[in-house]
Amino acid sequence: MKAIGTHVYDYLVQQLPQPIALINTNFELVTASRAWKDYFEKANQSVIGNTILKLWDTTGSTLWEKQLRKSFNGHIESGIQYWTSEEGRERWCKWTTTPWRDANENILGAILKVEDVSDQMEQEAKYEKLESLLRDQSEITKVGIWEYHIDTDQLSWSEMTKKIHEVPLDFVPSVETGINFYKQGHSRNTIAMLIHNGIHRGIAWNEKLQVVTAKGNERWVIAAGKPLYQNNKITRLVGTFQDVTQQVAQEIKTRESEQLLRTLVDNLPLNVFIKDLESRKVLVNKAECDYLGVDDPNAVLGKSDFDLYENDIAQISRDEDLQVIKTQQPILGKRTIGVKKNGNSTPFLTSKIPWLNLKGESKGIIGISVDISEIVQKENQLKDLINVTAIQNKKLINFAHIVSHNLRSHTANFAMLLDILVKEKEDVEKERILEMLGEASDNLMGTLENLNEVIDISTNVNLERKSLNLNEQITKVMQNLSAILQQNHGKVVNEISDQVHVKAVPAYLESILFNLLTNAVRYRHPDRTPEITLTSRWEKEHTIFSIKDNGLGIDLSRYGNKLFGMYKTFHNNKDARGIGLYITKNQIEAMGGTIMACSEVNVGSVFSVYFKNEA
Amino acid sequence: MLDLSSVYTLRMKHKSVYIIDDDSITIFGLRKLLAKVSEDLLIQEFNNGKSALDAILLLRENKQALPEVIFLDINMPIMDGWTFLEEFLKLSGIPSTTIKIVTSSIDIRDRKKWESYANTSKHQIDFITKPIYELDLADMTNLHKVS
Repeated sequence: MKAIGTHVYDYLVQQLPQPIALINTNFELVTASRAWKDYFEKANQSVIGNTILKLWDTTGSTLWEKQLRKSFNGHIESGIQYWTSEEGRERWCKWTTTPWRDANENILGAILKVEDVSDQMEQEAKYEKLESLLRDQSEITKVGIWEYHIDTDQLSWSEMTKKIHEVPLDFVPSVETGINFYKQGHSRNTIAMLIHNGIHRGIAWNEKLQVVTAKGNERWVIAAGKPLYQNNKITRLVGTFQDVTQQVAQEIKTRESEQLLRTLVDNLPLNVFIKDLESRKVLVNKAECDYLGVDDPNAVLGKSDFDLYENDIAQISRDEDLQVIKTQQPILGKRTIGVKKNGNSTPFLTSKIPWLNLKGESKGIIGISVDISEIVQKENQLKDLINVTAIQNKKLINFAHIVSHNLRSHTANFAMLLDILVKEKEDVEKERILEMLGEASDNLMGTLENLNEVIDISTNVNLERKSLNLNEQITKVMQNLSAILQQNHGKVVNEISDQVHVKAVPAYLESILFNLLTNAVRYRHPDRTPEITLTSRWEKEHTIFSIKDNGLGIDLSRYGNKLFGMYKTFHNNKDARGIGLYITKNQIEAMGGTIMACSEVNVGSVFSVYFKNEA
Repeated sequence: MLDLSSVYTLRMKHKSVYIIDDDSITIFGLRKLLAKVSEDLLIQEFNNGKSALDAILLLRENKQALPEVIFLDINMPIMDGWTFLEEFLKLSGIPSTTIKIVTSSIDIRDRKKWESYANTSKHQIDFITKPIYELDLADMTNLHKVS
């Protein structure tokens, strides 16, 4: 049987285009197609007479034997088997066993057909992997997919697309229901138009729109779609559907808080600026822009203080910034001065706060400053007022003292003399007392005249000052003094240029010059003839007139604070009234000037009068 | 004004009184009032603190008797009453003296100044506000006591 059958089968089986083998009931390979031999190559699987039990592996498996036996019993069996070739290649093989019968339906064995499905299996694995990846991704990014067949009018949604719409998974959408999920108005109109354009004009889209879910929740989605062509005809639309509600909400929130912050910062009545590590402006608010004289913050962003302010001021500011950056300690409420390139200076109260990143490293500084010009101005006014008040008060006290002392001393003298006169019996003595009363009366008159003069000056603070030629005034005064100068052989050296002018009240200037010149002669040194030198110099705010003598001099360490006091005399000079320098000082101060004295005993004195240049 | 030699010769007989004042009327009045208290007084006038201080320094140097009572004005040229008082209080080797500050001032600061001197000095320092109509009994006893 073997011999007869073999030839017939051999010839036939060998020509079959698929890997097919005949196996007898002893599990021996009877014959195989050439394709079989090619598939299993030179392995012993294809050697006739060899056992088929070790087809997949060298040990042989009982499961494989069982399956073959089933075919011997008339069943058709199939399965997929993994095996490794001699070269180590991994293979997937689909096999089918069919009973092998003779003409009398006697089973001779089994027909074994194999088909290599390695490629298929690989593709399948890849596909599964991709699909699961897509599912995961879709879950994470909340991106759903949809597909619309134009000819069948069928719309299909992916699981995620349904989830976003909050519909059950068995929901069957249509284009109409789909569009109706979009929020009425802009969103719905837009999507309807986009789908129309997609179908009829082949335009793809990608748009952020709002939907209202089946549960009534509003959501922001990015709807994207794209037409697909078949034979130059649009047959399908496919697209994605992404839930971006959270991102949008986040975005809106961020934008809103940014807007809030910006509005707040811009409307603060403070100058706010943020600077980076190089002290370049990163942010400025409206007040700061206004101060810097720009409309657009971009005009100053990126600029440093050196670009905006005077060098000295910029350096101070930079040093402060560096201190804050380095120590991370704020500078709070410091008085600073901003001097712009054009020289305009503004006083500020400035705070600089360290600007840190999330790691706590310095990023720069946040600065806040308040323009305190008005406060400073008020402060200065107040200071001036206090000064004036203090001076006035001092004068007043001094004056009250003078009045109390001098007027009282005269009246006391009257009272005393009258008392003595009443009690006196001798006529000669009475006569003498009467003389004294007359003297007291003259003294009182003199004092009253002095006081009047002082009051005149103090009450005429606003007398108009005129520009006066200094030498003309000196010449005028000298004419009045010529007698006393000649009498003492006095010499006056005038080094003042004829061009020098001072701003003064004419009567005051005359009085001042008269007093100073008179004093220079009056307190001459007994051992030498008086020599008086007049000079002048000019400073930014004052024109200074100086008068130098070679007279007695005054011990300033002793009398300095009393020199210009009222009724203070320092020399045993019977002409001294102790009023001249007091009046002179008052007149000079009434014109906003000052007077200073230098002196050395037995050498001489220099008096310098500072006339204010400004009106 | 008496010269120093006459002061010396009269020293044993008379009590020495200084009037330091630049106002002739006050000096005249004081002399009149003092004459009523005692006729045994040697009165010397000085019209500023400096000349009085110089006289006192000379007396101390010559170990001569110093004034027992000093009438002292405040406002004077060259050296005023306060400066004189300060210089005088600084001097050593001066026996207890009565100093009467005579002033027309009613300035509270002058009175305060006097109080601070009066409270810290070994000398008897009084404060008399003008006008003076007479020197009271205490002034007189004081004079006699010192003598």
